[in-house]
Amino acid sequence: MADPFLIAAAALVALALGLALARFLRGPRALDRVVAFDALTIVSVAAIALAGLVTGREIYLDVALVYALLSFLGVIVAARYLEGGEQ
Amino acid sequence: MTLPLLATTGFAAAMLIAALVALVTRSTAVAVLSAGLVSLFASVLFLFLAAPDVAMTEAAIGSGLTTFLFFFVLGRIRREGRDEQ
Repeated sequence: MADPFLIAAAALVALALGLALARFLRGPRALDRVVAFDALTIVSVAAIALAGLVTGREIYLDVALVYALLSFLGVIVAARYLEGGEQ
Repeated sequence: MTLPLLATTGFAAAMLIAALVALVTRSTAVAVLSAGLVSLFASVLFLFLAAPDVAMTEAAIGSGLTTFLFFFVLGRIRREGRDEQ
């Protein structure tokens, strides 16, 4: 826990979370919010992997893998809706 | 002990902010996106509370399938409204 590498990684994840959340709050257009949503999913995957590293449980990495696969799908669907394309 | 507490508090605060955005916003697409974000943070919180199977189900159903379904239905509604005109 006192490992400076883990502290630095947690601080970077927290910084990225704050920045992406600020963009999600301010984003004047919906597309800014879609990009912020994508960034937040990536930050969440990083946080899950970090939690797996801290606790030493390998099952957390499987959750991160499932999450990274599914977040891609959500962003694609949202982008296609905002584009206004046909089904 | 303090790092897990800080991480849980931070993600809970982010979840509350996303829920407030979903309540306040006027745009339906942004509201659906915020609901997906609430589900995403809930999934991370489940994982931090040592329930990885619940977190995986929440990620698949709550964040993935629900957002997909909402956007699919919104696109269908918009297309049928365009056909009626």
